[in-house]
Amino acid sequence: MKSYQVSFLALCSIIFMGCENRLEINPTDNLPGELAITSEANISAILIGTYDEMGQAETYGGELPLMTDLLGTTDQVAWGGTFSEPRQAYTKNLLVDNFFVETIWQNSYESINQANLVIDNIDIVTSSDEEKDRIEGEAKFLRALAYFDLVRNYGAPYIAGQPNTQPGVPLRLSGILDYSVPLDVARSTVDDVYAQIIADAQSAYDLLPSVNSFYADKYAAQALLARTYLQQGNYAAARDAANDVLANSGHVLTTTFDGAFNNDTDSSEDIFTFQVTSQTGINQLVNFYASQENGGRGGDVRIQEAYYNLFDDPLNDERANFFYISPDNDQVLSSKYTNQFANVTIFRIAEMHLIRLECNFREGTAVGLDPLTEINALRARSNAAPLAGPLTLDLIFNERQLELAFEGFLIHDIKRFENNVGSLPFDDDSLVFPIPQAETDTNPSIVQNPGYGG
Amino acid sequence: MKPKIYGLLTLLLVLMTQFSIGQEKSISGMVNDQDGLPLPGVNVLVKGTTNGTQTDFDGNYIIEASEGQTLVFSYLGQRTVERTIGSTNTINVEMVEDASQLEEVIVVGYGTQSKRTLTDNIAKLTSDDISEVPNPNLQNALVAKAAGVQVTQTNGKVEGGINIRVRGAASISGGTQPLYVLDGIPLIDPVGGNEDVGNGAQTNPLLTLSANEIESIDILKDASSAAIYGARGANGVVLITTKRGKQGKASFSLNLSQGFSEPTNKREWLNSAEYVELFTEAAINSFGEADGRAEAEATFDFLAGDTDWRTGEVDTNWSDLAFQNGYQTDADFSMSGADAKTSYFFSGAYNNTTGIIRSNELERATARSNVSHKFNDKFTAGMNLGLSRTEIDRIANDNAFATPLQAIAQSPLSPAFLPDGSPNPDTLYGNFLLDDENAFFKTIVRRITGKVYGEYQFIPSLKFNSDFSYDYFSQTEDNYRGQNALFQSTNGQAFASDLGSESYVYSNYLTFDKLFAERHNINVILGTEYTQNNRRITSVTSQQFPGDDLPTVSGGAEVSSGTGIEQKNAFLSYFARATYSLDNKYLIKASIRRDGSSRFGENQRFGTFPAISAGWIMSEENFLKDSSTLSFLKLRASYGELGNAEIGNFASRFLFTAVSYNQRPGLAPFQPGNPDLTWEKSRQSDFGAEFGFLDNRITGELDYYIKDTDGLLFAVPLVPSSGSDIINRNIGKLRGKGVEIVLNTRNMETDDFSWTTNFNLGQNVNEILSLPNANADIVNGQNINRVGNSVAAFYLREYAGVNPENGDALYYINSDNGDGTLNRNTTTDPNEAQRIVAGNPFPEWIGGLTNSMTYKGLDFSFTFQGEWGASIYNGGGVYQSVNGDFYDNQDRNQLRRWQQPGDITDIPQARLFGGNGTANSTRFLDKADFIRLRNLTLGYSLPSSVVDKMGFSRLRLYFTGLNLLTFTDYAFEDPEARSDVNGSNSPGETFYSAPPAKTYTIGLNINF
Repeated sequence: MKSYQVSFLALCSIIFMGCENRLEINPTDNLPGELAITSEANISAILIGTYDEMGQAETYGGELPLMTDLLGTTDQVAWGGTFSEPRQAYTKNLLVDNFFVETIWQNSYESINQANLVIDNIDIVTSSDEEKDRIEGEAKFLRALAYFDLVRNYGAPYIAGQPNTQPGVPLRLSGILDYSVPLDVARSTVDDVYAQIIADAQSAYDLLPSVNSFYADKYAAQALLARTYLQQGNYAAARDAANDVLANSGHVLTTTFDGAFNNDTDSSEDIFTFQVTSQTGINQLVNFYASQENGGRGGDVRIQEAYYNLFDDPLNDERANFFYISPDNDQVLSSKYTNQFANVTIFRIAEMHLIRLECNFREGTAVGLDPLTEINALRARSNAAPLAGPLTLDLIFNERQLELAFEGFLIHDIKRFENNVGSLPFDDDSLVFPIPQAETDTNPSIVQNPGYGG
Repeated sequence: MKPKIYGLLTLLLVLMTQFSIGQEKSISGMVNDQDGLPLPGVNVLVKGTTNGTQTDFDGNYIIEASEGQTLVFSYLGQRTVERTIGSTNTINVEMVEDASQLEEVIVVGYGTQSKRTLTDNIAKLTSDDISEVPNPNLQNALVAKAAGVQVTQTNGKVEGGINIRVRGAASISGGTQPLYVLDGIPLIDPVGGNEDVGNGAQTNPLLTLSANEIESIDILKDASSAAIYGARGANGVVLITTKRGKQGKASFSLNLSQGFSEPTNKREWLNSAEYVELFTEAAINSFGEADGRAEAEATFDFLAGDTDWRTGEVDTNWSDLAFQNGYQTDADFSMSGADAKTSYFFSGAYNNTTGIIRSNELERATARSNVSHKFNDKFTAGMNLGLSRTEIDRIANDNAFATPLQAIAQSPLSPAFLPDGSPNPDTLYGNFLLDDENAFFKTIVRRITGKVYGEYQFIPSLKFNSDFSYDYFSQTEDNYRGQNALFQSTNGQAFASDLGSESYVYSNYLTFDKLFAERHNINVILGTEYTQNNRRITSVTSQQFPGDDLPTVSGGAEVSSGTGIEQKNAFLSYFARATYSLDNKYLIKASIRRDGSSRFGENQRFGTFPAISAGWIMSEENFLKDSSTLSFLKLRASYGELGNAEIGNFASRFLFTAVSYNQRPGLAPFQPGNPDLTWEKSRQSDFGAEFGFLDNRITGELDYYIKDTDGLLFAVPLVPSSGSDIINRNIGKLRGKGVEIVLNTRNMETDDFSWTTNFNLGQNVNEILSLPNANADIVNGQNINRVGNSVAAFYLREYAGVNPENGDALYYINSDNGDGTLNRNTTTDPNEAQRIVAGNPFPEWIGGLTNSMTYKGLDFSFTFQGEWGASIYNGGGVYQSVNGDFYDNQDRNQLRRWQQPGDITDIPQARLFGGNGTANSTRFLDKADFIRLRNLTLGYSLPSSVVDKMGFSRLRLYFTGLNLLTFTDYAFEDPEARSDVNGSNSPGETFYSAPPAKTYTIGLNINF
């Protein structure tokens, strides 16, 4: 080879390198955000993504009800797991850096942001009005649900019949796409957050169809309204909402108590669930409540004598026998969580019965059904002997625990009934989650809850 | 005609010589190197004349000289030897490597340079340094050998990731690994940062290389040297050069060794009696005598299973179960040689390592062929090809019950195995032995790294190089969790993954090198380089197996998940470098590199990285030239700019990801975008002096550097209620600075005995100079970036000890009094205690001291390493060291707990579930200062008279010890062990992390 030939080759090599367009490489595993908010199909997909987000382990997948149930008792269950975060809830010594408290908050707001993105861009949905309404309605339902659990866990209790100007949680009502702007926001009052929840849920009720596959339908929104009104002590509204669900949703109690749990597909009783399969979704409650062969860690939440003692008819009441002994640690575990791929129930019809009968009782009405008849109908499903009457609030409170235990209700019922948790009054500072340190570290506008330092 | 004329001339010349020097005689002999190997090509010169020759392939020479004259033997890299001719006609010479190393050849990236005229700070390690440390991870040989270069294997797993920090931390969120360049091929870490494969813990990207292939490792420490690697040089550049054949007789070498390993440290835990005592006391303190005792005893009953804890019949040492005796077998050979045209090197190596942690094993085979041929005066071409296969039996990452080290806090009351020999499933928390016996995680890496290159010499001063390199990395993983594995509830689960990564690099460069007028030496390099990496990952998981005999994915009745991913990135670079020296004493160098990367947004795609350096060899000046004490003195200074592009392929992009909900397709935000995201830029200045005293018996280097990192890449935590957790940003400025000292001495040198000492010490003090949003703190978990403090400093509540009155754990409130002082009152409420900056996860000083001695056939060397200034947070402390808060076995120091009023101790009263001192705080932070006898080698080479008869040229037996002694007050596993699951954002945590191995090896080297 001659020098000039080599020179020519060398030159070619160097020039060839100048192809700067080789640096144009776009991701194939992720979608550029600019494209995500452009089509109806994508908006619909973002809505489905919101369900996936909310069903994750950090919140409705399991850790949210777990933490609230542990916070609500000192003796009905024992926390025996190695995780220290749930133990802090159980001993009522939550620390501001409790990781579960942080991830519940984080995950809830991720879901809210996704719901917001759907609502903000609803006008992109043009195929039909029904489709547009469905998508908007579902997004509003999910947003309302997330705010409801945020406000009642991170804000001081709602006190019926007075202004609730205590700090609730930050209300973020539009989706954030650009994170280069200041992101700090102050807490809205508990009243304002409740108002938003009710507005969203009512809107969802109006927009949603009465049947909507396994997604939220009209009656899921109504059930959320019933639960929300109940928490506010707005008994008449709660009663009417629950009555609507009972009368019109088509959902009925399963014939047996155990039929209401561990279902791969929604039971007749399920008003709304987060879907779990062996491929997607997660039932994290099983992780904490179940033996290893049932997909759990062996039984971190152990059912104690004090819970069993609540039963007035323990011999016959199926709910008093809905337990098993863990082969891993010889502890008593709840049979409500034994299928790791079961859907996670958020609203089931038994709760609507309990809401309606309590509100009828408090209001002195008998909308739908007489309260004593209704409570006995519910008890009959589990073979429990009927109550002779007269009904009392204590009996209703007790019945809620018999039916709804370990489903995340206890602490909020205690706050409504203004009962104690052990020796702590219902409004004790330690019965409210702290604002996570990760939020107070980054959001200068946020105020910490009382009892959690400065 | 011509040959005849030459013949005549030669005859004439010989005759003339005969006449001019009368009493000449023929002197012959053999020249060997210090290992007794013949040295071909040694220059032999009669001093003061032009009469000279070279040794032949067998190291022999013959020269005509007369008695009284002096023969000078010189060879590159060896100390020059002078011998006066006496009566004998035979002069054998053994040459010793030049310990001053000032004439050393340094690999600088796209070329080499003499250490003498270098104006940069580069640390070099030779194959001898590397072979002293028998460990499957090559980088472990670098420990304590280069000033300011911290090398730490994450923990004691055989495949564990390696952190190399050159002059302290530059980046935090961006990659913190140096750029490894193997024979000019920039190696990427094909696995790192990918969550779709692996077990969450990093592996060492150089695991596929064997030490016997390596000729040298050059660490480019300052910006001026690394700037030729531009956007990828900010964390330092490690140039690895493989061996090639040397001119001379073909040589064959064989090395066999066998080692035994154990952990450097095992922590002490409560035995059964102590466990019962502490937890009974803790339960009584919390629940009263009767209830407490009942609570504790019920738990003991459960933990003890069918055994009786009251009699102390079971006292399981879980720590002993987590570890195992490690073994390491090495066998390698190489063949090499060269003639005037062709050079060749072939090698093969086998390593089989049984790690110190139960079930952790590695087996590796590598082969290499490096061949080059000079076709004619102008054109040389060659090819380097390395093949390897590495099979690893992995164990779970540090944050899993299934990892053996997590067993250390199981209760000693629990039997490890049931009477039938199967693992006990009824332990306090998941028993790793269930996985040990019923699960496996096998990783196989096959790697081919090849380079074909050509060099064309247009004219003696101008050549053109073209290199094409290809690096193929194929990793497969097979994981099966049998029906009786830990937490297994789907009748078995199999996972298989396949990761294929290919990188190709195409570089072309022109080199001009010329000496003008005998004083101006100019060297200019000009080139381009294109690098592309393609990565493709697939994986699939199945469950529901008919039995454990079908442990592959196909055996599962239900496929439950799968992934398929493709990723790419590309770099396009232009570079130039010019070096000029005047009279070999005034030196100047400038370089520039322009890098474009697909990883950055269109507007920020290209970056330019210049560097300049200058040196002055003062000892060449007349006023120093004749100094008998000062033999060498060079002053140098450099400045350069570097980038760090290791932020993932699409870090700046606003992205959504596909999700699935009940098998319906969804979309979810994946990461917020930051169109302004750009290179992390590092600007470094270095001022240094290199010196030699007393004929270079004492040499050394002294450096001071300032390393400013601007636009630090950081995954900044966002306000959680914004719905996104982090954003990649360039945050503010970081300054690192420090001094580095290198001192080499030749303490003793006689024919039989030599003793050299090498000492190095490096300092790195770093400080954040500015942050965005008016210098607002950036807190990430237990680490903080705060102006005026070191980067990623620990940010924790301050533990204040124990109230002697009641045994309560106390914390300093540390709230701001409003006048700049802190409220130093104490509180029992952790929520009231404010966090403070409590320590630095990175050391401020690191050092090494190596002594090497030879006496006749014996050689002895040892290296101490030391690190000072770092702290480590024990993330497992909230379980292990909390005075019996929960039934996890406790560190034995918890027996010092407060028991009665007046007790003065730092361990609070034991309170079961009492949360007494359990909050994250400085209670679990400890200083990680240490000095360690890193390695010690004792060798004996058989005398050549014996070896010759056996047909060998050398036979050496040796013993090597690694990590034999550690001096530290550190309380947890090991001051070099850190968690393998933390993101780089929160460094400096240990979490059931295995200590490194202490290894004893004996071996045999044979050359012939």
